[in-house]
Amino acid sequence: MESLLQHLDRISEVLAVSRTPHVSSWDAVAVRRALQWARYMRHVHRRFGGHVPIRTALERRLQNRWKQEDGSGPAAVPGLKSFRDLGRCDILLSQRLLDNRALGGAAFHCLLQQLFPGPSVPDAEEETPQGRLALLARRRSAVHLMRFNGFGENSAVWNDLLVKTQAELLLERLQEVGKAQAEGPSRLLSSLWERLPRNNFLEVIAAALLLPSSSSRPPKEELELSSSRTQGEGGHELVHWLLGKSDVMATFCRSLSAALLTSVAGRHPELFRVYLGLLTEWGRHLHYDLQKGIWVGAEDRDVPWEELYSRFQSLCQAPSPLKDEVLTALEASKAQDGDFEVPGLSIWTDLLLALGSGA
Amino acid sequence: MAQDSASLSSDYQFWIWKLSVWGQASTLETQQDICRHIHQFQEFLRQIYEALKEMDSSTVIERFPTIGQLLVKTCWNPFILAYDESQKIIIWCLCCLIKKEPRNSGELKLNSWARGLLSHTLSAFRFDIKEVGLFTQSLGYTSADYYPRLLKNMVLSLVSELRENHVNGFNTQRRITPERVRSLSRVCVPLVTLPDFEPLIEALLTYHGTEPQEKLWPEFFDAVNEAFLLKKISLPKSAIVCLWLRHLPSLEKAMLHLFEKLIFSERNFLRRIECFMKDSLLPEAACHPAIFRIVDEMFRYALLGTDGAPEVLATIQVFTLCFVEALKKENNQLKFTLKTYFPYASPSLVTVLIQHPKDIPQGLWHQPLKRISEMLREVVEDQTPRSSRGPFESWFLFIHFGGWAEMVAEQLLMSEAEPPEALLWLLAFSYSPCDGSHRRAQTMEEVKVVLGHLMKLLRSPTLSARDLQAATGESQGGDPRPPACRRLIRHLLLNFILWAPGGHTVAWEVISLMAQTDEMTHEIISFLDQTLYRWDHLCMEAPASRKLARELLTELLVRVEHRPVGHVAAIQPGITGATG
Repeated sequence: MESLLQHLDRISEVLAVSRTPHVSSWDAVAVRRALQWARYMRHVHRRFGGHVPIRTALERRLQNRWKQEDGSGPAAVPGLKSFRDLGRCDILLSQRLLDNRALGGAAFHCLLQQLFPGPSVPDAEEETPQGRLALLARRRSAVHLMRFNGFGENSAVWNDLLVKTQAELLLERLQEVGKAQAEGPSRLLSSLWERLPRNNFLEVIAAALLLPSSSSRPPKEELELSSSRTQGEGGHELVHWLLGKSDVMATFCRSLSAALLTSVAGRHPELFRVYLGLLTEWGRHLHYDLQKGIWVGAEDRDVPWEELYSRFQSLCQAPSPLKDEVLTALEASKAQDGDFEVPGLSIWTDLLLALGSGA
Repeated sequence: MAQDSASLSSDYQFWIWKLSVWGQASTLETQQDICRHIHQFQEFLRQIYEALKEMDSSTVIERFPTIGQLLVKTCWNPFILAYDESQKIIIWCLCCLIKKEPRNSGELKLNSWARGLLSHTLSAFRFDIKEVGLFTQSLGYTSADYYPRLLKNMVLSLVSELRENHVNGFNTQRRITPERVRSLSRVCVPLVTLPDFEPLIEALLTYHGTEPQEKLWPEFFDAVNEAFLLKKISLPKSAIVCLWLRHLPSLEKAMLHLFEKLIFSERNFLRRIECFMKDSLLPEAACHPAIFRIVDEMFRYALLGTDGAPEVLATIQVFTLCFVEALKKENNQLKFTLKTYFPYASPSLVTVLIQHPKDIPQGLWHQPLKRISEMLREVVEDQTPRSSRGPFESWFLFIHFGGWAEMVAEQLLMSEAEPPEALLWLLAFSYSPCDGSHRRAQTMEEVKVVLGHLMKLLRSPTLSARDLQAATGESQGGDPRPPACRRLIRHLLLNFILWAPGGHTVAWEVISLMAQTDEMTHEIISFLDQTLYRWDHLCMEAPASRKLARELLTELLVRVEHRPVGHVAAIQPGITGATG
């Protein structure tokens, strides 16, 4: 067991180095050995996929390594993150070396010989690195071709697909991190929040919260035993994190579209309650401008009436219990304000009137 | 060799020109043109690779000064790269250009350039959206994780779009235009062999728009059919049926593919033909009458073209057996009437023929046989000009159902009573359908005489091979009987050895006397194989006969394998006296 873990450490280091200028010191022997180690890890992946104790031990070691790496730089180094990654660590290594211009001529030549033996070697379908690298390249071409020919005129659908794919990856990673360490997912999410462009991240979070349980399964060639639970657990982690971060939750509810938030609220009652609370709070910030005859905010960051109305309206168009709960909350706030029936005195009265006439 | 290299050079000019015309394959015309040329182009690239493999860089530059242009243009064409194998060949070419120890600045430059292009080919069309790259990287994923998933989601999205339209018809907001369906089918042409695309291929094949004209591209059908035949793709049966219904050339190619497989496999035992047949999916697809009619028509031509070759006959019988099985499995109540499959035959005849003999008690088999004989005879001997489609058509129908056709001789031998006229007629008809009534009557009479002799031998205490041969009238030199009649009598004799209680004692001797030529040996092998196959399907309880047939078959096969081609050896009695 210990020697297996040492091998794992070694291949992790090799992978880390493979994308740095340090590979300039590698010769043909070093390249061959690195590939050998990577192939060995692939073998380990196949051999111990169903062996829970070994799998767990390897996974834990990888998670610990990642945590250390994570603290060291602004962007995490893509490397081995989970047991599943072991299955393709030879491909990962090959791609990095092929792309690394620091690798010397003789070493590079040896790499090519190892990876692309030519047509004389019958490749048992996609099993050889040659076949697998070519398949990957072909999939890229396919994406490219389909994007411009299959989705050309519909960029909204295309954007949804990009977001959905990122959401699947996010959930899968959250689950892996969560298995190794209880507070792992929250820490990962917070670090991503600090690092990534917010709008994209928020969209990905929303998409992740909306994924059906089965769609986040990894491609079938990978040995993944617990993937069916991925979404459930990952989604749970996300909700938990959002509930603990009021500032993120506020940004989430403020930035995303009314329709998207309604869908999320429909799926996650805990988030719905917070969202409704935020909407109520935003409503309290508005006052009635007698001269203009409209509800306005005191400050720029206040939510305008139109936006508030459209969010309530979207919620009211959702099926029960969402709609009922929203109306009950509005009625309660109206009663608190004094239960006026005349417009211009309580925002809740006006909202209810507007929603009633709009419905 | 010199000629080879000259032709490669002229090809080279042609493809350089083609690649310039194709550009990045952004128009319909260029995509269509690439579809048409891709196999040739890949073959050309393979030749280039073979040439490059042998050259040093100076020779490369001398012979193909624009090799860089050729490879770059190929690499920047997403349509070409999407085809299976394209990347591999390009990578191999590039690997040839990269030298282990560059000797001068020119070679250094070439190395560096080739390395760049190799990198591009492997990771072509890298993330074109910054956020996505940043996000996946921050999660510790690479493009190898991201692209397959994105592709899967793209495919699923298109599939649901097609399905939604299919279900909701006119009134959806996302109504898919026929042009879009057409262009989708076009983009899929290079990608049909990519496993990720199977759901989309299926959705396209089963999608029917509201317009009467075909919206899918013909090249799409060709590509899917080819991938299916070469087992590069696995699609559900329903999708294949749609493919063949929508595109006739594909169905024809599937039939030809089956014939090719049968022709090129060395010896076709019926079990093997059955495997090929089931594998081809044709019997199952033929449950749709339109497909059945075309398949059957091709069988008819094959039979006519080969002058009734026994191999074709056997293939038709196996096909029909699998087809009837599929029909039963698909639906106990027939969706289509039998008339739709056999429009020219009398429905009552087809109803009797399509019954599996297994479903009728063995003692009653002569009854349906008599019915079949009577009905066939009525049609064949009907002289009115409008009704007659010729005896061939009746025979063609009859021979589909091998279970019945081959049973007649057996039935005649099993009963000691006077042979019924109906069975004699059916036997004579099935071996020689186009005989006139006089000739047929003669054959029937000859069969009757032979049967009489055989029955007498059955009762005699000792059996000898010479007696048997004499009984069939084979021994007289210069047999005046026509070949079909002689073949019939031979099969009668073979049946007799398998069934007669003392048959096994003389079996090998009889076979040795018969199998004097390669042709005859093969005939006997086929007969034994067919008989065993039929018995298996009938679940016949005849352990002694079965054992004997199997032993004879094995022994004959051993002899054939060890016999030099064309040499007719006197076969030694090998298993005479084998206990039955």
